Amino acid sequence: MSAPPTDAAAPEGGLRALWASPTARVGLGLLGAVALLALAGPLLLAHGPRELVAAPLAAPSAGLPLGANAVGQDLAAQLAAGARTSLAVALLAGAGTVALGGTIGLAAGWFGGTVEAATMRVVDLALVVPRLPLLVLVGAYLGPSAPLIAATIALVFWPGTARIVRAQTRSLRTRAHVRASRGFGAGARHVMRRHLLPELALVLAAALVAAASRAVLLEAGLAFLGLGDPTGASWGRTLRDAIEFSGLFYTPAWQWWLLPPTLAISALLIGLTLTGVGLEGRSNPRTSRHRPGATP
Amino acid sequence: MAERRRPAVSAALSGLTLAALVVLVFALPRALPGDPLAALDDPASGVAITDPELRERVLAHYGLDQPLPEQFAGYVGGLATGDLGWSIARNAPVSGLVAAHLPWTLLLMGPALLLSTAASYVLGILAAWHRGRTGDRVALVGLTALRAIPEYVLATLLLIAFAVLLPVLPVGGARTPFAEHGSGLAALADVGAHLVLPLATLTLSLTATLFLLQRHTVVGVLGADHMLLAEAKGLPLRRRQFVHAGRSALLPLLTAVGLQVAFAAQGAVFVEAVFAYPGMGSLLLEAVAARDYPVLEGAFLVLALVVLAVNLLVDLAARWVDPRSAAS
Repeated sequence: MSAPPTDAAAPEGGLRALWASPTARVGLGLLGAVALLALAGPLLLAHGPRELVAAPLAAPSAGLPLGANAVGQDLAAQLAAGARTSLAVALLAGAGTVALGGTIGLAAGWFGGTVEAATMRVVDLALVVPRLPLLVLVGAYLGPSAPLIAATIALVFWPGTARIVRAQTRSLRTRAHVRASRGFGAGARHVMRRHLLPELALVLAAALVAAASRAVLLEAGLAFLGLGDPTGASWGRTLRDAIEFSGLFYTPAWQWWLLPPTLAISALLIGLTLTGVGLEGRSNPRTSRHRPGATP
Repeated sequence: MAERRRPAVSAALSGLTLAALVVLVFALPRALPGDPLAALDDPASGVAITDPELRERVLAHYGLDQPLPEQFAGYVGGLATGDLGWSIARNAPVSGLVAAHLPWTLLLMGPALLLSTAASYVLGILAAWHRGRTGDRVALVGLTALRAIPEYVLATLLLIAFAVLLPVLPVGGARTPFAEHGSGLAALADVGAHLVLPLATLTLSLTATLFLLQRHTVVGVLGADHMLLAEAKGLPLRRRQFVHAGRSALLPLLTAVGLQVAFAAQGAVFVEAVFAYPGMGSLLLEAVAARDYPVLEGAFLVLALVVLAVNLLVDLAARWVDPRSAAS
């Protein structure tokens, strides 16, 4: 990887490098399992997550693979619908953070001067906003829905990404191949697409994973505290219902009510973290070995 | 010059933080959907009021009919005299409710912060010393995974493991209800048994973050000149590890502990929710459910004050550990 990668090779090489790390492989495997649950779940299940379909605390059976909760709702359907909510929030928040932070960081790093100074002051300001109270507040004003939580998380987390992307862009801008390209008369747009974005791909992927995992954590946390979307399905909501049911541990129902969402949240968050650790090992200038020019 | 200005600056910053908190604490509950009189309007509840005149009088009694600026002025005036307000849902003074719940949260947060600091101090040094070996790799992957999962998930897993599958510890609460203890010691043991799982959850959660930082710092210290000199002098291994390497890494660790205090308070809220532990978290959650503004305001504010106070203690400890940090 000593030669500057071309734009076709870089993301592919990045993915191959990622797959080479056992940590990231375990992480991607866990993410795949959750994605399968989200995609295949609703196809296999006949009931909605809030429909009353069985006797209270019904044990798992052929039609109800995970039994029912205290009011007779299908817990497998809740698990699958919760996976959809979590993944949707994760993808939306991750994509939003990367789009906002990436664009602003790239512009600040490329243009420098006043643009850079102004955007970085905004970044400094945005970094000190307390996050959980803000989320509670926004959710309360606008009604707590999954897309809204994702949008808020993107609005709160883009500054960190912008800062990293700006630093990388500033460093890339002075590299020989970028300056050569400029010398041959390439425009800013061409240089960004051809030389900067491929090099930034891993950094952006790491930012996407970090924002996604925070989004999952906050969505489930708000739902667990009773501040989530009351009509939607969420693993945090299922967990809260189970914990609040006072006779939970006097019946075997905790095995199919409490345990599956607990394990599902753990699997998704650990999957995201391990993937992130794998990505960071490749993209962080402090730890990567293939960029001798980069300073910490 | 800098030494003389710094206390004034940090006092001003604390004052600003506190002022911002008072405003936030006042505004936040009022922005939440629903209102405390929802139960009075709900015909299904036992306290439903259908008479509009009576409803007006109830509103006036709690000051909820006044414009927001006047409500705010009354709130700040009350705070100045130590009055946190009157709970709408429980018909009791908020200060009394806080006084009943705060000790349990402090019993959870204080030991959790101390234990996690001590554990990450020792584990971080050992992992850095043996970096790359099996023990270090297991700790690194294990604690990274642990850091990823939220407190309430960890709490639920520990609850299932040690109170349900292996029923050695109580499922929840802070004391065995209606139990008669022969001696004070037995009562203390009962409180201790109920504390184990919540405390373990919070400690593990905090340790995961602090350990990763401590390991990273100590790895950076290992090659320093004073470490080489200590080895050349023939100092014993344990002394080099825990006195020489650890001391150099203590300031970053304490700074991180300061940053973790707010997370410890937030984590305590989630942990208490799982174990039905009667601390500030349970009080807050019940207040959210009932839209009990005065309790929400009081509990938020007192928790924030606790975080500020513990931060101050950590700051003082950092100055004591490294006097240079007071000068710069």
